[in-house]
Amino acid sequence: MVPLIQAKSISKTYPGGTLANDRVDLTVMPGEVHAVIGENGAGKSTLMKILFGVEQPDSGELIYDGKPVGFAKPREAIDAGIGMVFQHFSLVPSFSVYENVVLGAEPRTGIRFDREKAIAEVEALSEKYRLKVDPLPPVGRIPVGQQQRVEILKALYRNARVLILDEPTAVLAPQEVEELFVAVRSLVAQGKTVIFIAHKLPEVLEISDRITVMRGGRTVGEVLSRDVDEHGLATMMVGREVTLRVDRAKDEGPVSLEVKGLHIHGESGAPICQDLNLRVRKGEILGLVGVEGNGQSELIEAVAGLRSVADGAIYVDGKDLLPLDVKARRNIGLASIPEDRIARGLAVGASVAENMVATRLDDERFVRRGLLDLKAIRAQAEQLIGRFSVKVGSPASAIGTLSGGNMQKVVVARELAEQPKLLLVNQPTRGVDLGATEFIWKSITGARDGGAAVLLCSADLGELLALSDRLVVFYRGRIVAAFVNSDELTPETLGRYMLGIETQSPETVRAALK
Amino acid sequence: MTELLITVFSATFFVTVIRTSTPLLFATLGGLISDLSGALNVALEGMMLISALTAVIVSVHAPWYVAVLAGFAAGGVLGALMGFFHLRLKADIILVGFAVNILAAGGTVFALSLATGGDKGTSINLVSKAIPTIDLPFLAAIPGIGPLLHSLLSGHSALSWLAILSVFGIWYFLYRTPPGLWLRGVGEYPAAPEAAGIPVAKVRFWSLVASGLLAGLGGVQLAMFNYVGFTRDMTAGRGFIALGAVLLGARHPIGAMWAALLFGVFDALSIVMPNLFSWIPAELIQSIPFLVTIIALILFSLRAQRARRVAAPLRSADT
Repeated sequence: MVPLIQAKSISKTYPGGTLANDRVDLTVMPGEVHAVIGENGAGKSTLMKILFGVEQPDSGELIYDGKPVGFAKPREAIDAGIGMVFQHFSLVPSFSVYENVVLGAEPRTGIRFDREKAIAEVEALSEKYRLKVDPLPPVGRIPVGQQQRVEILKALYRNARVLILDEPTAVLAPQEVEELFVAVRSLVAQGKTVIFIAHKLPEVLEISDRITVMRGGRTVGEVLSRDVDEHGLATMMVGREVTLRVDRAKDEGPVSLEVKGLHIHGESGAPICQDLNLRVRKGEILGLVGVEGNGQSELIEAVAGLRSVADGAIYVDGKDLLPLDVKARRNIGLASIPEDRIARGLAVGASVAENMVATRLDDERFVRRGLLDLKAIRAQAEQLIGRFSVKVGSPASAIGTLSGGNMQKVVVARELAEQPKLLLVNQPTRGVDLGATEFIWKSITGARDGGAAVLLCSADLGELLALSDRLVVFYRGRIVAAFVNSDELTPETLGRYMLGIETQSPETVRAALK
Repeated sequence: MTELLITVFSATFFVTVIRTSTPLLFATLGGLISDLSGALNVALEGMMLISALTAVIVSVHAPWYVAVLAGFAAGGVLGALMGFFHLRLKADIILVGFAVNILAAGGTVFALSLATGGDKGTSINLVSKAIPTIDLPFLAAIPGIGPLLHSLLSGHSALSWLAILSVFGIWYFLYRTPPGLWLRGVGEYPAAPEAAGIPVAKVRFWSLVASGLLAGLGGVQLAMFNYVGFTRDMTAGRGFIALGAVLLGARHPIGAMWAALLFGVFDALSIVMPNLFSWIPAELIQSIPFLVTIIALILFSLRAQRARRVAAPLRSADT
């Protein structure tokens, strides 16, 4: 069979000098699901951007449909029949589903936008490829899984033969992932070709026919899915053996964090969290499970002191937290690894050393008589850089020059420089590569073993299941289920509660949270 | 008080309201178009002022319609200039807008004194023309309601009729044609139209031009109908009131029309009231439209907040 897409020895160096693709090869057969996997920074996104015309290669050859091609801009790739669904959707929230699908290529009668025809075409496409979505509601009001279908429909409406899906499962609940896979299979059955960028290996093995593995800007191998297992793939991706297993907490400590009858309201006064009750013991990780936007992040912000509370109480070791400001909370031993490291965790323009002492500016060791002790700050930074193996030129380098994983390590290093009593963690490994993930997980469990009570929130169920000792599931601002973690607990079970299909009785929840 | 009521419910007062609302309506529509495309046009005031002076000076030497076109075009050129600075040279749109306003405030006085031979206040010694009124004598012939219809609908500026037509034309454009869809998409979430191959910067550029053209017509109406001739700073903040009217009209052309009419009513009141209440200082009465703008915007944002509160649980339920 003739390959549909062939990339031969593609190289790309970014203006900053980063060699993102180093003689990369990719061969995609028509009608297959081809996964491209690799850690962050392995060069998958760059390769896809080259295929889609967002970036141009410095050297190498691209063959599409038997002919050498070069796309100067996405428009040309689209016209050639290549569609791409990015991780961040390009949809206008207030526009209806059908308006978003046809935007830029609307059916017209005269100068008028022919809405009836647009709706009919969208319905026909969604029928044909089993991408069920109502064409009429505004996109901003439908779930993320359906928004993704709208993006796929957009590509199909423009007659895409090849669909590139960039980490499509990152934003989905497990049930939605199943639905996406049904759609992908139906697309392939009808002659489309799908390129699937991913890093969650079980999913890759389930959906793809063939897998290209990338590492450090190079292709390290191409394998048939049926010939490999998860362990083998992980080793290929990282280039060494990885153990993403952590030990559970050994014994039960006394209750450290207690949240009682907590209500949180949004800026507009609408309730975000209602009647939350939970306890976290010393040396225990409590996982907060839920589709994003169901109140988990807000709970963490409320405990951190970044969000006001409408009603209820939060105690740490019997001490009421609510009257305390953020600094006072930190002084009694609260540490926080926030969701967005760039906006909230770090000062991107400041140096690594400055970021590492930013929360300790009333510490005699670093500030004396209102003046910064630069020597002490530098020494502290050097010590933390070593301890948390941050890859950085010098303590004086600006944070902005670091990779995502190393930025996150700086946050972790600052927060865990001293053993906290209460550790809040939100999305610790989002956009972080496998090697750094391993390290960050170990740091969190290390803090746990040192006696910290940990609240962990993550969009990655695998992470929650790997780290948590207990889990609570949030749905529309309430705790609808609670579990003691065990090997029998599956993402599918959690998913049913996350989507509100099932709810545990209050007694069951209370029993699991004793 | 009764005198005020009699005045307000007279056909003459209605005609005055339409007259005072027309420049505001044009400016509001101009503000609406650029706002929807994602570029807040704070230069409406300056655009109106420059267009007003352009029209007045041209009308000295040319027929009225040429003057109207000249004012119209002047607004468009200013819009294109803003587009060039904002989109090509990447300057901040608010700063560019204020630059136009400052240019207009000083530049019109300078140009006025050149044109009049030294008068820096008004164009009183220039013989400028007016836009003709449109009389509809046949309406009076309708039995029964004829005379009333005639007194309500006759005697308006040609531009007032054009303004009403523009409201519906712009509505049709925005909500019924593909380019209207693009414009709204560009304003709300530019990444989406960009990914669909729509030239985002171009759409914004033409929105700014359209915004300038409309504001230009507002300025023309002001200097060739509401008053005949140019006075320094004669727009008196109407361009900024128009920005308020865009929000008050819920960023929709029909809403913009009602908002402009509301401000027009108070503008008209500030014209008739000094004759009725000579004991109230005229300055106080003249400040009414501005007070109303502030009050209306406060009420509007309170209402919007309440609406969000009602809608919020619904939205969070969807996610």
